[in-house]
Amino acid sequence: MRTITFAIALPVLVGLLCSASFLGQNPAPGAANGNPLGPMVSGVDLSGSYRWLNHQDAGLFTAAGDIADWGGMPLNDAARLYGLSWSASRQTVKQQQCMGYVPPYTWMSPGNHRIWEERDPFTQRLVAIHYWGQIAQVDRTIYMDGRPHPPAYAPHTFPGFSTGKFEGNILTVTTTHIKRGWFRANGVPQSDAATVTEHLIRHGDTVTVFAVVDDPVYLTEPLSKTSLLARQAIAPDAWLYACDDSEQILGRKNDYVPSHLFGQNPYFREYADKNKVPLLGSFGGRETMYPEFFAAVKDTAAAEAAAKAKMSPAGPPQASRAPDPTPNDGNIHVFHVAGNVYMLAGDGANIALQVGPQGAIVVDTGAGKLSEKIIAEIAKLSSKPIQFIVNTSFHADHVGGNKKLQAAGADPSLTGSFFSNQFADAGQGATVIGQQNVQTRMQDQKMDTPPSDTYFEDRRRKFHNEESVEIFPMVAAITDGDSIVHFRRSDVIVAGDIFTTTEYPFIDVKNGGTLQGEIRALNFILDRTVYAHDEDGGTLIIPGHGRVTNEWEVAEYRDMLVIIRDRVQAMIKNGATLNQIKAARLTADFDPRFGRTTGPWTTDMFVEAVYTSLMKR
Amino acid sequence: MSRSLLVCVLLLPATLNGQPQGRGAGRGGPPPTARSAAAFDMTGYWVSVVTEDWRWRMFPNKGDYGGVPINAEARKIADAWDPAKDEAAGEQCKAYGAPNIMRIPGRLHITWQDDQTLKVDTDAGKQTRLFHFASTPASGADMQGISKAEWELVRPGLGFAIAGDRGGSPGGSLKVTTTNLRPGYLRQNGIPYSNNVKLTEYYDLVKQPNGDTYLVLTSTVEDPTYLSQPLITAVHFKKQADAAGWNPSACAVR
Repeated sequence: MRTITFAIALPVLVGLLCSASFLGQNPAPGAANGNPLGPMVSGVDLSGSYRWLNHQDAGLFTAAGDIADWGGMPLNDAARLYGLSWSASRQTVKQQQCMGYVPPYTWMSPGNHRIWEERDPFTQRLVAIHYWGQIAQVDRTIYMDGRPHPPAYAPHTFPGFSTGKFEGNILTVTTTHIKRGWFRANGVPQSDAATVTEHLIRHGDTVTVFAVVDDPVYLTEPLSKTSLLARQAIAPDAWLYACDDSEQILGRKNDYVPSHLFGQNPYFREYADKNKVPLLGSFGGRETMYPEFFAAVKDTAAAEAAAKAKMSPAGPPQASRAPDPTPNDGNIHVFHVAGNVYMLAGDGANIALQVGPQGAIVVDTGAGKLSEKIIAEIAKLSSKPIQFIVNTSFHADHVGGNKKLQAAGADPSLTGSFFSNQFADAGQGATVIGQQNVQTRMQDQKMDTPPSDTYFEDRRRKFHNEESVEIFPMVAAITDGDSIVHFRRSDVIVAGDIFTTTEYPFIDVKNGGTLQGEIRALNFILDRTVYAHDEDGGTLIIPGHGRVTNEWEVAEYRDMLVIIRDRVQAMIKNGATLNQIKAARLTADFDPRFGRTTGPWTTDMFVEAVYTSLMKR
Repeated sequence: MSRSLLVCVLLLPATLNGQPQGRGAGRGGPPPTARSAAAFDMTGYWVSVVTEDWRWRMFPNKGDYGGVPINAEARKIADAWDPAKDEAAGEQCKAYGAPNIMRIPGRLHITWQDDQTLKVDTDAGKQTRLFHFASTPASGADMQGISKAEWELVRPGLGFAIAGDRGGSPGGSLKVTTTNLRPGYLRQNGIPYSNNVKLTEYYDLVKQPNGDTYLVLTSTVEDPTYLSQPLITAVHFKKQADAAGWNPSACAVR
């Protein structure tokens, strides 16, 4: 009897002793339930060094692939046109030379890959899984601690922001905040609106990465695809991949961006002919992903004609399908950009704020609908009265809060200065600074509180809050009174509407704006920026509208404008009218990202501004 | 090491072995069937999503061997491949054997033939594969060979690592090992595999936040006769609500 009892009791005792709860490692409630550490997660160990397995998709590793080798990709018309317009020579443009790699494309890079875990030293909870890819030195963190993704107006990076969870034997990773990158580096873009879900499945020494990309800008349905990694028994030594951009072609102007006009890419059928695949298939599209595609190319002549029809824009104009990152919930959202500089979003144009012991500098004041909330948020970061307000433009969404924010700069403790009698606002509120034409136009239009401290062509500089601050007039860009502001120690540039992430530039031709000036202004910004690594980080940019960026997005914007300019110019040269140019939909490859079909600044209005600018030249 | 922890370490393997290896294991009852122990439900209709190896799967050309680690002998045979001869010999199905059938664009219909046998029908080439979880047939040597199947299940977390078992939520993979195959082609362009070939497959189920369900298949083909190293590839299928698009068609050489 005693023996039987022991036989039963021992496994029970062992089970109890060995149970997770006995060892104090019960799965903890999630962060949402009040546990600041988040859920206890475990799962398949992916740690190790890997190499890409090229038994499938040979020749399609990163930075490779023939033009129009796009079969099996659910590209929409815009993506296809983007790819057909893309010239491999664009990689000679400075900012394109060290472009980073985005997920999931990074899994196909031919160098070494490393995965390792970060665990809390005291609890051994899995905090994050880290990834390093040799090619382009991709440094990626997959957070496993349940933290939320950043707000929509936060910067994007090439690796993006990733969170993960284990689902059975699969690590599922969700990534947002990715920069514009490649589906394949042969011209087909993955937009910055893409969300990537990756499922990492380990079987022995093979890891299958099954990735699904949902890109509302350039795909008609999610792109699902596998890549394979082979675990290496011995860790390799090669982990670095230095890239510094440099002059590739001496004497080339900075407003030259190689591209092909629509329908004029001379290499569009090389891949199809070389590999005996239908041209229609090589152009990609949802239909090429499924078995039914065989039927679509049975009639070779019809398939060829259908392919040719896809080489030029067709159908109605498209509006942007990228979500607007601007919070429009009636609140002001504050984002720390870098150093002493913050971005305040939610009331018209973005507002930049520099704080410090001397009191704040505010760049632009928004639309004026939420000024009290803006002042309240500023007060949380700076206890002193606002010292300076800089207006980057006279447009109402940039100066609407001038009056209230200027008043918030009143400082009764000031006893006045030599200039007290010469500047109406000295000592009675913040000093409003702007290019002279901002003052002139605001006075002409009887707008409240125009700048009283103005400049014409030269930079205005200040050393404020222990930081060099430069204000540069940008002649004839969006208007004739634009400025940018560079906070040099924080290394943040406030671009005003010269750069936005939400729409084509609002070139206000009636008020002195020009396309040429806009491109010059973007190049001016690019001459002042430095990236930290492969077009990521470094100098940060606060756009007039949209999310915080660095130089990559500014360069992309510049490239887009140059490409559109060249297309419009080519049609003007051939005698086309404005209506013919509009009908040609020369912005079709960018419209799902920046286009507008309704509202105050439509694609048609932008094209007209481009046309007018070029005709005046 | 404390006494209680020592007891754990010494006796833990015994407790692990005593754990049910899958769902459906009742105390004192019969062992679970493969169907009841399934890590996930594979049954239904699935369509190939041809985003990997698109050119080689959709429009294979003679002499295009990119990615396949073939040896000189295999290259010689593939270079001499004559589809007309295959047709004349009634060998149209040589590319539809187990090592390649799942890569041919088409649809799958997966059902349980019985509690221990999973049946995979393909509309491309009208092939049938049987995954045997219990005993396997003694004979074979046809295009689909003999496939032995097993569920590789994730065990509940134990709180610390033991032999790679690190816990996690329930789940797992289907492992299928296929041998006894008649020689055939690794692609529809005459790249040969021999009767020494061994195919190991892992099937994993992935669900997307939008409700899409995918079957991800990772395959390793080992053939010392014609491959210089194992050929490792992956494909995936998307779950369909019904039999839409099911289009049984005979094997075709070209």
